Parts: sequence; C-alpha cells; structure tokens
Amino acid sequence: MTISKKQNGTELEIALEGRLDTTTAPQLEGELKHSIDGVTDLIMDFSKLEYISSAGLRVLLAAQKVMNRQGSMVIRGVNETVMEVFEITGFVDILTIE
Amino acid sequence: MAKKRKFNLQPKLLIGLVLMAIVLMFSLISILIIIFCGVMYQYYSWVTFDNASVCSYVIDGDRIERYYNNGKIGEKDDYYEMIGDYLLEVKNQVGLQYLYVAVPEQDNIVYVWDAGAPDEDGIHKLGESIQMFGEIKDVMQTAYAGGADMLDSVLFTESSAVAFVPLLNSDNKPVALIAVSIPIERVSRHVETFTVLALISTIVVMLISSFFYYLYIRKILVRPLRNLHHAVTGLVSDNMEHLDSFDLKIKTRDEVGDLANGFNQMVKELNEYINNLSRVTAEKERIGAELDVATHIQKSMLPCTFPAFPDRKEIDIYATMTPAKEVGGDFYDFFMVDDRHLAIVMADVSGKGVPAALFMVIGKTLIKDHTVPGYDLGAVFTEVNDLLCESNSEGLFITAFEGVLDLVTGEFNYVNAGHEMPFICRSGENFAPYKIKAGFVLAGMEGMRYRAGSLTLAPGDKVFQYTDGVTEATNSDNELYGMERLENVLNLNKDSAPAELLPKVKEDIDAFVGEAPQFDDITMLCLEYKSRMEDNNE
Repeated sequence: MTISKKQNGTELEIALEGRLDTTTAPQLEGELKHSIDGVTDLIMDFSKLEYISSAGLRVLLAAQKVMNRQGSMVIRGVNETVMEVFEITGFVDILTIE
Repeated sequence: MAKKRKFNLQPKLLIGLVLMAIVLMFSLISILIIIFCGVMYQYYSWVTFDNASVCSYVIDGDRIERYYNNGKIGEKDDYYEMIGDYLLEVKNQVGLQYLYVAVPEQDNIVYVWDAGAPDEDGIHKLGESIQMFGEIKDVMQTAYAGGADMLDSVLFTESSAVAFVPLLNSDNKPVALIAVSIPIERVSRHVETFTVLALISTIVVMLISSFFYYLYIRKILVRPLRNLHHAVTGLVSDNMEHLDSFDLKIKTRDEVGDLANGFNQMVKELNEYINNLSRVTAEKERIGAELDVATHIQKSMLPCTFPAFPDRKEIDIYATMTPAKEVGGDFYDFFMVDDRHLAIVMADVSGKGVPAALFMVIGKTLIKDHTVPGYDLGAVFTEVNDLLCESNSEGLFITAFEGVLDLVTGEFNYVNAGHEMPFICRSGENFAPYKIKAGFVLAGMEGMRYRAGSLTLAPGDKVFQYTDGVTEATNSDNELYGMERLENVLNLNKDSAPAELLPKVKEDIDAFVGEAPQFDDITMLCLEYKSRMEDNNE
C-alpha cells in the first residue's frame, strides 16, 4: 500500500492506494499518529483503495475519534467493495462519506 | 571438507623453491660462463700477442733480409741457428702449437724460421712457400701493414688462437711476420674446469639457502596456518562447545598474527552471540509455550462438544473454528437462554494476538451474561457496547451477530453489530444472504443504539453464520474466496446436516486457498431448526 500526504495549513489530505489490511494498517496508523496533531480538516482519499479489512477499520475508527475532538474527517472516492464493508459493519453511520 | 586437498603447502613450497633455485642456477652459470669465456679469450689474445711481440724484439730485422731478399734465399749462419734454437725453446716452454717467422708475398708466405725439433713433421724449411687465403690472409696483411691493434691481429680458429706481429728492420719497416699459435683446447679446458666448479658451488649455495629459506617460511607461515587450521577444525568437532576457552597462541606481528587475532576476536564475539541467542531463544520458547496455553484456553472457551444438545430433537447445531497462526479474536457461542430459547453468537474482534484474545473473552462473557430470557437483543448489545467501550484502551472493536430462536414458535430475533449477513436456507429452497441493516461495531463508540430484528423460521430451515475469515480467505493470486463461492458450496450441500455441511465448506475453502498462508481465523456455525418444540404450557 502507498500513502501520499498533502498538508495545507491545518488541512491534511491522505490518499491511499492498494489494500488496507492487517499487514498495511500499522503503516497508516503510524503515519496518522505522526501527523494528525493540529489538523482540523482530515480528508481521506479512497479512490485508489481496493480493499479494507477490520484492521483497517480500527485505524479509521481511531482517526475518527481523534478528529471528533479536534475538527472533522471526510472520506472521499469510496469504491463499491469498500462501501460494502462500511455498510456491513455499520461504519456508514459514524463516518462522513462524500 | 568438500574437496580433497591434493598437495600440502609444505611440499608445494619446497618444490617451488627447488625449481626457483635450478632456474637461478642455470641462468647464473650461463652468464658466468659467457663472461668467463670472454675473459679467457682476451687473456689468450694477450698471451699469444705478447709471445709474438717478445720474439719480434729479440730477432734482428736487418738479418731477415740476408736469409730472404726479394725471392732469393740466402745462406743460413750461426745467428740463424741460434734464433732457431731460441724459438724452439720458447715454443716448448710456453707450449705453443707453432711459432714461425715468414715473409708475406702477394698470395704466399715464405718461411724463414719455423720452430720445431729436427725430426718433427710438418716443419717448414727456410725458403719454403705456402699459399694463404681467406681470413688468415686478411689478418696477416693487416698486421704486416702495421695498421692493426692487438686484438685485430689475433685470430681464433677452431683449434687455436694465432697472433701475427710484424718484424721491423732498423729503418722501422716491416720485413717479416712472426706467427704464434696457442692450442685452443687449453681455453676450453679452463672453461670446463670453471663450469664444473661454478656448478658445484652454486648448487651447494642454492640448496643450503633454499633449505634455510624453506625452514624460515615454514616457521613464519606454514606452522601458524596449520595451528590455525587445527584450532578451527577443533572448534567445529567440539560442536562449538569450548568457545570461551578458545585462544590462538600466534604472536607474530604480521598478517598471520592479524589473522589469528581476527579469529580470536571472531570466536569471542561468536561466543557472546551464541550465549545471547540461547537466552533469547529460551525466552521465545517460554513466550511461545505461554501463547500455546493461551490458544488452548481460548479454544476451550468455545463449546466444542457435538452433538451439543443430544436430548433436543428440535435443533441440530454445529460450529467450527480454524485459528490462524496467531491467537486470534474470532469466537462463536451457543447456549440455551431458557428451556425454549436457543441463542447463537458469531463475532470477530478486530486485530490479532493477545490483546484481541483477551478482548474476545470479555466480549463473549458480557454477551452471554446479558442475554437473559425476555430481554430485547437490541438492549443487550447497547449495554454490552457501553461496557466494552469502558475497558477499551487499545481501540479494538468487535463485529458481532446474535440470534435467539424460540423453539416453539420458530421466531428468530437477531441483532447485528457490524457483522456479516447470515445465510438463511428455507426448507426446500436455496441458501441466500439475509439482508439486515447492520448496527455499528461493538466497542467502537459509546452510546450507540442497537435495534433487534425478527424473522420466523419454519421446521427444516437452516441458518449459516460465519466470520470474514471465510469470505476473505486469499489464494496465492491474491483473490478473495468471496460470497459467491460460499453461496455456491452451501447450495451444493444444502441437504447435508450441519456437522457435514461445515467440513464441506472448509474443504472448498482449502482447495481454493491452496498453498497460500491463512491470515485470519475461519469460523462457521450452522443451525438447523428441525421441528417445533411442544409447548408444555399451552
């Protein structure tokens, strides 16, 4: 999985490419832990994300909880497979998906 | 040792040294002989030339003209006889081949004296003339003209060295040539003697010095290397057991000494490394053993005695869990809530390892505790969720499905917290995913509300529930097993009893995955509602 970041003041855009699963989730977790401080608008671009597993959901949930305190988090470009996972797990209810 | 060694270093060294000595010896001797020959030839040139010169001083040139004057031969006299005796004496004393005085003409020479005993053969008489040609003639003429220096007037033939010196009269004009010849075999005899001596002395010197050099090399190189080799093979044959006492006693202050020091250092570090490794391995084994125990405890928490309710004819239930390598977080559960209600639970804790396993234990216990007769399943999950959120520092969550079947009416109440949809197979029909609006995962966020749903099962209906380890089993091409394959294999075996159906599904998954590793627990549960329970209260 590749992670690309774009920081614009307090706005942070993270684009993911590939699979977010048990092996790659710690990578995203480390990246977020490192750069989420002071961010008020977190934008996740999922247009190139092929798959998300429960380990990936856990990282998203943690990020959502942090952003609930310090701003907002938006997820963009969610494909059908990933959307299905969000629906099954009820994540659609707590995430902001555009 | 992979390859047998053909030659040891010592004989190699020895052969090399001897070969070098031989080459050196021969080249040295050749050069010496060439130089020696040059010197010898020069020496003989001097000797012949000096003899001839001495004679030329002794003999009175003016008198020659009396014995030979423009082709006329004169009388011998006392002086002639005296000089003849003198020349013979010189010839014998010095050991000359021949010694004569002659007057050169156009192509001939005319003998005046030719030293020799009266009865000797081949001695020319006064006035005898012989023809000259070739090189001898050229050298004679040059010498007679007086234009030659010493070496030009000495001629080396195959058997002798001949020197020609002009004999002058009182007007300093040449009147005759004195020829002196020394047999060349004396030169070659000298060279032979020299060669033999040089050969013997070089051989002796070379052999002695090679031998000492060999001893020296053996001391500074071969012996230490052999010691090193023995020490190292000793280490290996002792199975590396005496690493701490390993010390190479090679103290030379050169590359071999450096090598030995390097070895000592290496073995020391190897020793430390091995000690470290054994410590770490022991620790790892301990942790591994404890994890094994944890896995066993976790597994033993899941009901695994089948048939589970042998005295219940109304239901048949079967469940399996195939854990991945690590302790995982999948769990299933089934229990009688009261006499007529059966609860089934299927859940998956996000993440792996000990945290997930511990969280699973909490989740499983809480769900079972809260499922009490007559209590709404939505309220059960709402409470369990709040309790789980309190003790969730790791940010884990659980996707869970719980269903409670009323064995009398067939009413199946369920609640879904972010878990996969169950498959329902109506009697005589096919398995199909049963769409349920999912609630949020458990332990994800406090204060979430869960709502229960309801459907009615008829006798002969089956419910199949599973975790994402099934649909997300991955083969070596990174393909997922998926819902479609699952639905197909379920329908191919829809008439099988739960205890036969689940192994069939597992077989199909295994065939799909092939050699690829299993990342997630594979957990499945199948409930068959066989017949209605008689309601004793009615």
